[in-house]
Parts: sequence; C-alpha cells; structure tokens
Amino acid sequence: MKVPFTKQTLANGLDVIVHEDHRVPLVAVSVWYHVGSKNERPGLTGLAHLFEHLMFEGSEHQPNGYFGPLQEAGASLNGSTSTDRTNYWELVPSDARRLALWMEADRMGWLLPALSQARLETQRGVVLNERRQSYENRPYGLAAFAVMSALFPPAHPYHWPTIGEPADLEAATFDDVRAFFKRYYHPGNASLVIAGDVATDVALAEAEDLFGQIPAGEPVAPVRVDVVHNGMRRLVMEDRVELPRLYLAWRSPALFAPGDAELDLVGDLVANGRTSRLYKRLIHDRRIAAELAAGQTSRELGGTFQIIASAAPGHTLDELEQAIHDEIARFADRGPSDQEVGRGRVQAEAAFVFRVQSLGGFGGKADQLNAYNVYCDSPDSFEVDLVRYLGASGRALGEAAGQWLQPQDAVTLGVVPLGQAASALSRAEVLERPA
Amino acid sequence: MNTIRFERPAPGQATAVRFPDVARQTLENGLTLWAVEHASVPVFTATVLLPHGTGEDPSSRHGLASLTGDLIDEGAGDRDALHLSEAFAQMGTQIEVEVGPDACSISVTALSRFLGPALQLMSDVVMRPRLAEPDFARVRDLRLSRLRQLSRLAGTMADRMFVSEIFGDHPYGHGALGTTRTLETITVDETREFWRRAYGPSGATLLVVGDVQSDEATRMAIDAFGDWADTGSSVAAGAPADVMADSRIVLVDKPGAPQSELRIGHLGPPRLTPMYHALVALNAVLGGQFTSRINRRLREEKGVTYGARTTFDFRRVAGTYSCETSVQADATATAVADVLEEFETIRRDPVSADELASAQAALTRGYVRNFETAGQLARAAAQLAIYGLDDRTFDRFVPRIESIDAEDVRAAATMHVRPDAATVIVVGDAAACSQGLEKLGRPVVMGDPEF
Repeated sequence: MKVPFTKQTLANGLDVIVHEDHRVPLVAVSVWYHVGSKNERPGLTGLAHLFEHLMFEGSEHQPNGYFGPLQEAGASLNGSTSTDRTNYWELVPSDARRLALWMEADRMGWLLPALSQARLETQRGVVLNERRQSYENRPYGLAAFAVMSALFPPAHPYHWPTIGEPADLEAATFDDVRAFFKRYYHPGNASLVIAGDVATDVALAEAEDLFGQIPAGEPVAPVRVDVVHNGMRRLVMEDRVELPRLYLAWRSPALFAPGDAELDLVGDLVANGRTSRLYKRLIHDRRIAAELAAGQTSRELGGTFQIIASAAPGHTLDELEQAIHDEIARFADRGPSDQEVGRGRVQAEAAFVFRVQSLGGFGGKADQLNAYNVYCDSPDSFEVDLVRYLGASGRALGEAAGQWLQPQDAVTLGVVPLGQAASALSRAEVLERPA
Repeated sequence: MNTIRFERPAPGQATAVRFPDVARQTLENGLTLWAVEHASVPVFTATVLLPHGTGEDPSSRHGLASLTGDLIDEGAGDRDALHLSEAFAQMGTQIEVEVGPDACSISVTALSRFLGPALQLMSDVVMRPRLAEPDFARVRDLRLSRLRQLSRLAGTMADRMFVSEIFGDHPYGHGALGTTRTLETITVDETREFWRRAYGPSGATLLVVGDVQSDEATRMAIDAFGDWADTGSSVAAGAPADVMADSRIVLVDKPGAPQSELRIGHLGPPRLTPMYHALVALNAVLGGQFTSRINRRLREEKGVTYGARTTFDFRRVAGTYSCETSVQADATATAVADVLEEFETIRRDPVSADELASAQAALTRGYVRNFETAGQLARAAAQLAIYGLDDRTFDRFVPRIESIDAEDVRAAATMHVRPDAATVIVVGDAAACSQGLEKLGRPVVMGDPEF
C-alpha cells in the first residue's frame, strides 16, 4: 500500500508533506502539533485541549474567528486533542487552498496578539460545558477517567483526562495559557500536510511563502516517564445507570512497539463484533452480557487494552469477569484458529483500504500522513504498518495475550446503579463519584 | 516580510457538481438496479433500499420494522447467525441494516473483489432470512436492555419526548426501537408477516456504487436478486395533521443533571416542498452551521453550551424543524428564551445581504465535498430513490441556492419557523430549572418519555 508524497523541512523546522490526488477538486490541509495532555502537569491540566478551542477564535490578521472565512470558502474544519498530539484540519475546494494555508500559518505564528482575557473566559465556559455534555451528563461518562487514573500513577501524564480537571480549568491564568502556547505551538513542533488536487511544487512554494517566516521555537524535549506499574486494583463506582458494567483494563505496548498490532488483533478476535469469541460466549450462547466492546488504544508513552461488558438483567459482574478471564486464558494457551487469523488479516487489509478513501477529516489521508510523520518520522509508513498486521502469526497473537492480559495485572472497575456499590463486585474498593 | 503576507487570500468560486450517470435496469420482478461507477479506491458500497420504515409500525406495535431489520441478519439461507457474520467478516466487512421513518436500507461496503459473493450473501439476508424463534427471543432481550440503557441518556430522552409531542399518534411519533411495552407484545410471527409485506422487489432499489463496471455490477446483481418474488404489499404513512398551536414547555426531570438537553421546534414540511432550497439557506443563517445566529449566541458569546444547531428533518410526508442543544443547568431558561427570540427575529427582520451571501457561499462552495467517496455517492443516490428525485437534483443545488434572495428567506421563515407553535422539551434537573422556565410565559408541564 502506497500513498506517494514529497516531504521538505523548512528552515524553521516545519515539516511540509504534499500528496497529490486529482480525482476530486478538493484539498485537505492538516496541521499536527506534537503536544497533548501528556505535556501538561498536575494542577494545570486541560491546556492542550483548551487551545484546540482558542485556536479557532482568532489570530492577529484574522482577529474575528476562523469559522467565518473558512465556511464561506466551502470548508469543513475541525480539530481534536489526545494525550499525545493536537490536530487541526480543513477540507476545502481546491481554489481555497491558499486561504486555508494562510489561516493555519496565521494562528501558528500570530495567535497571541488576538488572544484576550474575554476570549479565554468564554472558551473556558465552552470547555466546561463540553465536559458536562460528553462526560458528566452521560451514563458511565466518568468511567474512562477512573480507569486511566488507576492504570497510571499520579505523576504519569496519562493519569489525568485530556479535557482537564474542572478546578484546573477554572484556575488557569492568562499567563499560564500564553506560556503554554509559546512553548509548544511553533514550526519545529508541528507538521503540515497538503493533500489533494494541487501540484507539488505549487504547494511547497506556498508553504514556504506562508509559513517560512514564522520564527523557530525552542525544541521540545520528549516526555520521559518511569515505568512504574500500579498493579492490580479493584474498584467500584456508582452512577445513574440501569445495567452494571465491567471495565477490565491493562497497560499494554506503546504505539508501534512490539506487541501493539498483535494486541489490536487480539482485541478484535476476542471481544469485538459478532464474530468474536466473547460475543459468542457472553451474548449469543450464555446471554449473560448485553453489551461488549474491546480494544487496544496505542499511545506514545504506553498503550492500554480494555474490555468493557454490561451485565444482562439478572447477571453479575463477577460472572462476566470470570468468563472473560477464562476466554483470554484459553486464547493465550491455544492461540487463534487458522480461520480467525485469516479473518483478522482480511479485516486489516480492508480497514487500510477504507481509510484512504477520504483526503481530509479525521482519519483521512492527510491525517494519516501526519500521524506517521509525527510518530515514526516517516510519512511513508502505510505499508510498514499494514505488514505488522498481515505478518502477525497465530502463535504471536496467543503469546501477546498471555504476556499482557493476565488477571493479576488488570485494573477492574464496576460501574453500578446507585445504592449497589457494596454488593456489585467482590473485593472492590468503593470509589467516590467525582463531583 | 512583505505586507501581502497579512492580507487574507480570497476564497474561490463554487465548483459545479455533476452527479455521475446512473445505469438503470428494472427486472421483471419489479426490482430496480442502479449502478454508479466511481473509480477511486477499489471499494464498493451495495445497498438494498426498501420503501418501508418505522412510519408503517402499527400503533400497538412500535418497533416492529426495526426489530425485523435486526432479525434478518441473525441467520439466513444456509447459515445461522454466527456463521452469517463470519461469512461477511471473511470478506473484511459486515452488513449494516438501518431502519428509518420512510425506508429500510441493507448495506455492505467491501473491497471490490468481493462484490459477487457479497451480493449473494445480501440476497440471503433480504430474501431468505430465517426469522427463527430463538434468535427472535435473544434479539428482543438485547433490545429491552438497550432501551433501559437509552432511558438514561439525556439526548435520547429529549428526542423521544420531542417526536411524541410533535407527531402525537401519527406513525412518525415514536422512537424507531419501540418501547418495552410494545416489544413485549410483538411476536416472531409478526416479524415474519412484516417481512412478507415489506421485503419485496417491487418498489425496492438495489444500488451498487464504486470501483466496479456497471455492466458487471448489473450482471452480478441479477444473479443474486433475479428470482426475488413479491409476497405482499404494505401501505405507506399518510400526512399528519397540520402543526398545532402548542407552545408548551415539557419538562422531563433528570435529577442531578449538570446540563439541560433542549429540543425546541414544531412540524415541518416534507422533502419535496417547493421551498426546499430557501429552507436550506434559511437554516444556514439561523442555526445550521457553526457561524449561524444561534450557535454564535449561545456558544461563542455566552459560553453556556458546547454547541447548538437547528435542523429541518425532512421526511416523506412531513418533517420537523428544531433547535437541538445542551446547556448548563443555570442557563436553561435564558437559552430557551434566546432560541425563541432568534426564531422570532428571522421571521420579522429581513436577513442582511452579507449574512445571506455568506450562508449561500458556504452551501454552494462546500457542496462538492459531499461527493468524494463511494459511501457518500451511495447515500446521495439513496436520497434520490427514497424521495423520487430526478438524477440532476444535486446538479441543480448550487444554482438554486445562488438564486435565493432575502425575500425568499423571509417567506420561508414566515411559513416554517413558528415560535408561537414551538414545543419546548427540557430534559434537566427540574428542581434547578423549573422556576426559571415558569417565568417564560408558557405553560410548563411535566413529561416522561416512554422507553
């Protein structure tokens, strides 16, 4: 699998990657900043995500917001924040390419002059409402935070949520916010992809013209963490929910580390979708679970592997827990069947082809070129990545499950209806539901 | 550094959209085949579209259409439920069944080399589902659990309350999944009967879009669906009564909720309204995009929400117009008042030339983005089939939007944005927000959506 591209690094350190595809008159522009919540510190969390809001509010030469001119040009646009990076993108008709690049350049080089205390206050409010809508006012909405806090110790940057702690968001000062921008939002910590209906030389010249004079910033040192294992914990939390739900979570290999692709495949074979072993056992045959999901989440400083299952009425989390550990042990012991290995491979092949259908947006070609450039320092990693999946043997899958998914290493969390914490999950400590 | 650097470049012109040619063939059994070539990535999307949806659920059997849809891929032809899923998974894909108010669609997206076997498996699901008792019992139990889960989700609570208030007893006035009460009365025989009525070739469309030659797609489709025979026919939903002058606030208590989920709106026109393009432009000004009036006010000026938007939900015989948002609890009443005021303002005052031009530019210049992938083209083609629109419908969109003027918008707003007839749904902490709502001058009643 090949996505042809040209890469140049400007004098100020900005990586520029151009991919030509003239089938549709569209251009995707994608900017990744190699900053996420992992770059924050306790007491001052949520800043990377807060910037994902402030970056749309205005810059020195476009002080009145980013949505107006881009929407008028026919763009769709958005951004997102993870533990490891933030990304910003526009998908525009090809003749609005220069506008989209100009807007990205202006907020990379000239954001702070347009940043005011009033804008900060408004977006602080919006972010607190995003947190209420996406987490606090959703059933099980705080479970993911509890799992990450239990998997990673307080000093580890994956301990806190990317959207931030409300108290930290309230306390962040104008100076804190400015300092964070200066440190992380500059060409040397960014990567630009221009993909679609554009000639490579035109795109490279435009990138040089618009971004070339933004001053280089101080290099950002990689975040280092001591690998401290928290060990097993059993937790239970009450919430306004109907069905008790079990979360089993493990620390797992980092993005692109040995075992990462194998565990991704293990997740699918063991617990994802109607062909998975646990679907058959828990939902189809024994009917003790009503919902099931699983997967390896790959991150720079270490991955996590999770299996989530809700108990069918009349069944308990202890039953689910036992059945899941049994099935993983069986998988680790005997490995997958040839049919399962074949299924995993063709699903991987299809997923890689499906992902190159779109130029832009989350997960489109521009976004993937940036991901490979930022994480592997090589945009040309589609094939390398796919081969990890196509080449994984059944034996390697069984070994990965055996190495990483032992019951004694799991964080176990039950989320249960109000008043049921005491009886819901044996030997579990009760976790206060955060305010 | 030169000063030109700091001048914002101009946007471009709207790109003309030309929807690809559709190769059509109607088989003797009444099934219409549509093939659209889209040579991009070696992928296709195949969709069987049946013109029957939740709008045909009998009043005591809400959820029947979608339960039948859930059941058809739980065993079909020679395969039981798990073997059927495995057969799709061995092609790197799965089957998607979607049941909407007006139509049911059964879709597969897969690598082009699997087109033939995928169509064969789809024909099993559509033409030869087992609809067996044990699978029925299992699927119904899963759905009962699903309904319990959804009954705690603020957005779904608000959506259910909204459609039942707006459409009342009309078949559009219930959630697609039905309720615990109706699911406990539906029998496996009733799903078989619904399948016999709704899953026939006459009126059905099979779309194949993607990197496959039209004649090859047609040949494989005939191979798979050529001997499909009709086993019954059903009656489509009639138009609901016109909008009632109902300006109540229906408050659904969700103790402890830090936000209130709002739905504010009323009945709207069907998809085939002659005002369609004026309504799309109107909506872009009022609440259809990020820079629209309502989102600007509630999010960008006040910061009391993560986002607010308005939507015309166009359906075959009638639709809704509504504003959808979730606001912090202490801003509930003011947000309701703000939205109703924006509804009023756009009826009263003409939109400015700049504001209209901006909305038109966003709609026309961005339109080409909707036709990039096989999946997007398949969804667009499905719209043509469901609503009986002609093949040049999408080609006309840009010039039609460009021709809208402020008077068209005012006329559309006067007829289809009706704050006095808008029902307000609030799903929030009643103790925290009922006092403020009482002061809005509208009757406040308590509601409880049925799950």
